[in-house]
Amino acid sequence: MMRADIGFAKRHNRAALIFLAPALLFVFAFVAYPVVYAGWLSMFQWDGASAPVFVGVGNVLRLAGDPIFWASLGRNLLVALSAIVFQVFLALVIAYCLVRIVPAFSRIFLFFYLVPVMVSEICIGLLWRFMYNPYFGLVNAALKAVGLDSLKRGWLGESDTAFLAVVVVMSFTYLGLYVLLFTAAVRSVPESVYEAAEIDGAGHGRKFVSITVPMVWDAVRANSLLAIIGSLKTFSLVFVLTNGGPNHASEVVSTYLYKMGFGSFEMGYAATIGFAQMVLTALAAWIVFRYMKRKGDA
Amino acid sequence: MKLKRLLIAGAALALTAFPAAAGALSFWHAYAGQQDKIDFITFALDEFARKHPDITLDVVAAEQSAYKTKLNTAMASGNPPDVFYTLPGGFLNAFVKGGQMYALDADLAKDGWRESFLESAIAQTMKDGKTYAVPVDVDSVVFWYDKALFAEKGWTVPKTYDELMALAEKAKEEGLVPFSLGNKDSWPATFWFQYMEMRLKGSGVVASFVNGDAGATLGAEGEKAFQTIAEIAQKDYFPIGFNGMSDQEANMLFLNGQAAMLLNGTWQIGASADAPEGFELGYFAFPSVSGGAGDQSDVLAGVAASFGISEKAENKADAVTLLKFLTSPEVMTKYVELRKTMVTVKGATTEAAAGPVLYGISNELMNAAGHLDSFYDTAMPPAATNIYYTTLQGVLDGSVAPADGAKRLEDALKANK
Repeated sequence: MMRADIGFAKRHNRAALIFLAPALLFVFAFVAYPVVYAGWLSMFQWDGASAPVFVGVGNVLRLAGDPIFWASLGRNLLVALSAIVFQVFLALVIAYCLVRIVPAFSRIFLFFYLVPVMVSEICIGLLWRFMYNPYFGLVNAALKAVGLDSLKRGWLGESDTAFLAVVVVMSFTYLGLYVLLFTAAVRSVPESVYEAAEIDGAGHGRKFVSITVPMVWDAVRANSLLAIIGSLKTFSLVFVLTNGGPNHASEVVSTYLYKMGFGSFEMGYAATIGFAQMVLTALAAWIVFRYMKRKGDA
Repeated sequence: MKLKRLLIAGAALALTAFPAAAGALSFWHAYAGQQDKIDFITFALDEFARKHPDITLDVVAAEQSAYKTKLNTAMASGNPPDVFYTLPGGFLNAFVKGGQMYALDADLAKDGWRESFLESAIAQTMKDGKTYAVPVDVDSVVFWYDKALFAEKGWTVPKTYDELMALAEKAKEEGLVPFSLGNKDSWPATFWFQYMEMRLKGSGVVASFVNGDAGATLGAEGEKAFQTIAEIAQKDYFPIGFNGMSDQEANMLFLNGQAAMLLNGTWQIGASADAPEGFELGYFAFPSVSGGAGDQSDVLAGVAASFGISEKAENKADAVTLLKFLTSPEVMTKYVELRKTMVTVKGATTEAAAGPVLYGISNELMNAAGHLDSFYDTAMPPAATNIYYTTLQGVLDGSVAPADGAKRLEDALKANK
């Protein structure tokens, strides 16, 4: 590189930095500062009103021995698992069908899949609350209509079905987003590859497994990551549908954090939960990124 | 996005950062989001401006649940408003513990201000012998029923717990839900537990924990109370999936005539305003439990809201003037008239303003009560409330044994935080 070039790069560096500075400032003010503050707060016992009491790692030890937290985290992992299967994988299959099998209708289908993505989660939650209502709701009415009266129940109010009911809503809600993302990816696969496969007599199943999946693997990886991070942070749907109840039966980490922070006013402990959630989410993201690499990738 | 954040941050700053000028008070309240609340506060503030033109108010309003978070944040950050609405009990006590509340006793002693309140009500805003807020309204809990439905079926109002259970069985046989209950947010079921505890052991159980009495205990009655309400749930006297239904959904069952009875607060009068034609709201007291050690005439009734002054307020004289005005009989009678809620000021809950149902509860039930026991869930500290709520849900759906539930609650109350 020549000297003049270095000067040019330096000049541009400065300009770039000046342009980036405001954004960076916001990141510091609204992301970095709260994270550091939460880390600091997690070493205190504080009810939000009186003077904070320093407890050191006391909150972390309490967290380690808190069965409700671990059960909630377990539910987050189940949400993530169901998201991989019923959101990411299913979305890929749907995207393949839309692009390769019924391209003529792909736009209209895509529109319907996207409706829940565009509606706020609170509205979706309230809508589903009506559907799940044991007396006026659509779900029980539908079961009755097909003669499955024995399956009728108070979906959101019973410990053994509340969490399942929430996961179903999540799958319906977020599926569309992944369908959209995968449709774009599947469209970008060159037609010639499929044509070659067809000449060799490959059917849809074979084409899906052997061409589409490997060709859009980067998208699969990115979407899985998105789904896992989203699942570990999930809050609004659980909050609206069950508020983590009954008796923590559908509690996830975020709703537990909210209860501790704004129900019990244990700000320090809530900060500890939040910090743990952040670390665990980052860890999960790293694991996924590492183990979903294609062979041959650096 | 960034712009939005900036605007929000700016708005938050504008609301909290500017200290009130001389002769000006910052006043925060939660009378928002509901027409009757807005009507009341508009009336009160207009009147205040007319009578005290020298005092300007910098008013901030927020809807109840958002308000709690907002006030807590302001308190935590050391920027409290001068005069503000607050819930009594654990919520207020946290501020008292933090030394942020101005004790009103000296002002209450003047001009018979203290005597203008019901003694049982002002006791609920006291802590360690000092009064930190003035109570505004009182809610009490009774059984509600549709008089027309009872007349049609030939049912009579039960006087004892056994009669209540017999009536519930009859209602169930008729295909009705005996007791509507929407326990998603957990407070509705607290009335069941508390009344059982009050009937079995007596009033003031949670209050004695909060006051730090050495002998405070739920007693064996705590387990018995949990046991009893778990049995009611097992008999399917509550709606299907009650732990997932909201209070509004429970109200739909009740007002539509699909449920026979509802144990709920006096706000039920307002909630029943939209009832279908022919629905006639009636009430009866929680029945007596045979063998119970408590005074069987006791009523679950608590101060729902109060006003306090922050220790940091510079202009305390004007702040007291505002509180005195808000709790004057004139404003309080208007409160009863607009909100159909009983108030803590003696003589302000008039028959004309309250209407027959509320006046009946206030005049007959509550005047005849041996004690008024305030709501457990607001009296106890926030962390204990959380445990109380989840324990109740668990006991009712059978996932927590009554004995374990009683122990969990007892431990939480003993921790007193």
